[in-house]
Amino acid sequence: MSTATIALLGQPNSGKSTLFNALTGLHQHVGNWPGKTVEKKEGSFSYNGREYGLADLPGSYSLSANSDEEVITRDFIASGKADVVCILADSSQLERSLFMTADYAGISVPCFLVLNMADVSREQGKQIDVKTIEEKLGVPVILISANDKKEYEPFYEALEKAVEKKTMLNVSSLENTYEKINGYSEIKNIIPDNLIPGYSTMWLDVKTLENDPVVMEKLKSAMDKDALAKIEEVKRNAKGAIETGGAKFAWIDDVLKDAVSDSKDTMTLGKLDRLFTSKVWGKPAVVLTILLGLILSFIPALPLMGIGMVVSALKAPVGDLLTTVGCPEFITAILCNVVIQSFSFIFQMLGFVFGVTLVFGLLEEVGVMARISYVFDNTMGKLGLQGKSVMPFLVSFGCTMGGAAGTRVIDNWGQKVLTIALAWAVPCGAAWAVVPMLSTLFFGSYAVVVIVAILFTMLLHMWITAKIFGRHLVKKEDRYGMIMELPPYHKPKWGALLRYVLGRTKDTFIRVSKVVLLVCGVFWVLSYSFVPGSDPILYTIGEAIEPVTKIFGLKWQLFMAFIVSSIGKEGALGVISALFNGGNFSGAFYDAMSGGALASDLNDTLLANVTKPEALAFIFAITFNMPCVVALAATYQEVHSVKWTARIAIYYTVGAMILSMIAYHIGLLIW
Amino acid sequence: MEGLIKLLKDGHARTIEMLALELDTTPADIKRKLEFLENTGIIKRVSFEVSSCGGNCGSCGGCEHSGDEKATCKSCMPSGEVLNMGEMWEVVGL
Repeated sequence: MSTATIALLGQPNSGKSTLFNALTGLHQHVGNWPGKTVEKKEGSFSYNGREYGLADLPGSYSLSANSDEEVITRDFIASGKADVVCILADSSQLERSLFMTADYAGISVPCFLVLNMADVSREQGKQIDVKTIEEKLGVPVILISANDKKEYEPFYEALEKAVEKKTMLNVSSLENTYEKINGYSEIKNIIPDNLIPGYSTMWLDVKTLENDPVVMEKLKSAMDKDALAKIEEVKRNAKGAIETGGAKFAWIDDVLKDAVSDSKDTMTLGKLDRLFTSKVWGKPAVVLTILLGLILSFIPALPLMGIGMVVSALKAPVGDLLTTVGCPEFITAILCNVVIQSFSFIFQMLGFVFGVTLVFGLLEEVGVMARISYVFDNTMGKLGLQGKSVMPFLVSFGCTMGGAAGTRVIDNWGQKVLTIALAWAVPCGAAWAVVPMLSTLFFGSYAVVVIVAILFTMLLHMWITAKIFGRHLVKKEDRYGMIMELPPYHKPKWGALLRYVLGRTKDTFIRVSKVVLLVCGVFWVLSYSFVPGSDPILYTIGEAIEPVTKIFGLKWQLFMAFIVSSIGKEGALGVISALFNGGNFSGAFYDAMSGGALASDLNDTLLANVTKPEALAFIFAITFNMPCVVALAATYQEVHSVKWTARIAIYYTVGAMILSMIAYHIGLLIW
Repeated sequence: MEGLIKLLKDGHARTIEMLALELDTTPADIKRKLEFLENTGIIKRVSFEVSSCGGNCGSCGGCEHSGDEKATCKSCMPSGEVLNMGEMWEVVGL
């Protein structure tokens, strides 16, 4: 019985394994290629009185010597162990998957071509004229679907034909294309014939142009210095892989011409994408989209705000009840002024977390977020940043820490530091919870205006920050482009989206509850007068610093809340909750005893004690304060520089106080 | 191919569709060329998967230190995956 060895060659996902398993069945064994961790699969089958050995070559994009897989493949073919190479290509995307065939052309081992995935290409409405391709290539070509064993008869026939007739790829038209390449003809005249057995001079010439390490090594050992220098000289003026790759694609198009007919869609951008990618309207469209998104996120927030109010209203009845059953006053005060009050705030805030997460999750899922990052790319460039910096910024809307960690994709240290420095200006999830809530409380429906102002302040802040830090961190170097695939718009999967939003809201609820309760508790105790008639410590300190904090438009209570907000923004709520609770604060406890202060609502107390300009100042102060200590740590971890981490932190603290002062004075002009 | 390289060099961001329009070809042609350039090392796919938040998430309450490299901080990164953002490549080796 005669024998032949077949090698399967194809790109990953071309269906090699399916074909291999179907052909060999149980007659296969798996090992490793010598000295490599790449899997080696061999097997055997017989057909029509001939025994075939089958080797599954590792999948790789092409035959360049860039990886172990490619080197193994090339060595195996060069060793002459294979009588025939079976090249696989994906018939549903021939123009791309025939690249392996183009790269194979010039290797003097007989071959045949299997166009796999016939089922998929049929579904796409593609008609592939196998005969025409066969005539152009000069080797057997078949169209099959490897997972359908009934279709294998043509495969065996093509295999037999290739083995018996030793069919070789017709490379003349490919060589014609190569000849137009800079340097091809010159190198062809220099390279000695048969430099590596099994590879034609054309193939070696192309690989020389592509600077293939293995071929270059061979050339070095086989040629004298002068010839080598001449090759290097020619290569310097050639464009290498870009041109040879282009030639291969041109050849593929030529092979497929008149052989593949499909209903080609004409290329047009959708209406919405024309708007987003427009030079003039792109930015306004994006800014409007974000604004609209923020405004919309208020809608689902309002009902939850109502729940928060209801919780707050529980204070009086619970306080009364506890007093009636003889619960110690201290505990009553903690339960009402710390626990219930905190939860009232937390619930009022959660609505906004839910709303913002839902609206922006939705924008991302339908594909709008990708357009937003596209539009901002050029702005990134003006700030000295790469287009991919936009991702850490987007993530920072959720959590600055995530944004800082996200800068890991930026290789350039300076750009990374600048990206983090700017990402701090993006109000994080906690800010988007605290700020809209406080704005609604103080300004009612004008909260929307405050949010818009914050958004524009953010853009201005980022621009100024980039100007301040940029020149130390990024150099005006050539900035290469970015390619973005705009994903198709699709309808949101509501179930998955809601699960995501609820999950986020729940996480935030747990985290925020811990922080607010803890901070509120600590500040409540500090403001609790244990010796009747004496002022608690915090009050004394507060009174002392107030003349200074007033400069920034902040009452001492609000200033302390601002300081705490650098630990975590939600903490500010805890401070307010503790310090403004029950009206006149040093007497809070005694007022509470009489029941009067407990009944009064904190929201009303706040409105009575904090003027609108002060509220505005406070809102800007905490929004643009450093995000939180965890973000600080994350920043250090990415930046690896105490100096820069400290610089950014101090810059933000000072910046927030300046913004607070400006907001206060603008507020004074308005009210 | 040279036309594509020229466009990639000029520092502007472009979508696959825009490249196809400007070069008077199909998105499929652009995609296969991008695949080639990626394999040649001229462009690089940007991966936004942040494999872990570096153990900094003590207070964020969502990080799973399950030893899984891919575990992400639930309350920091949008549930570990970025939804429908499309692919992004940057030019590295020109």
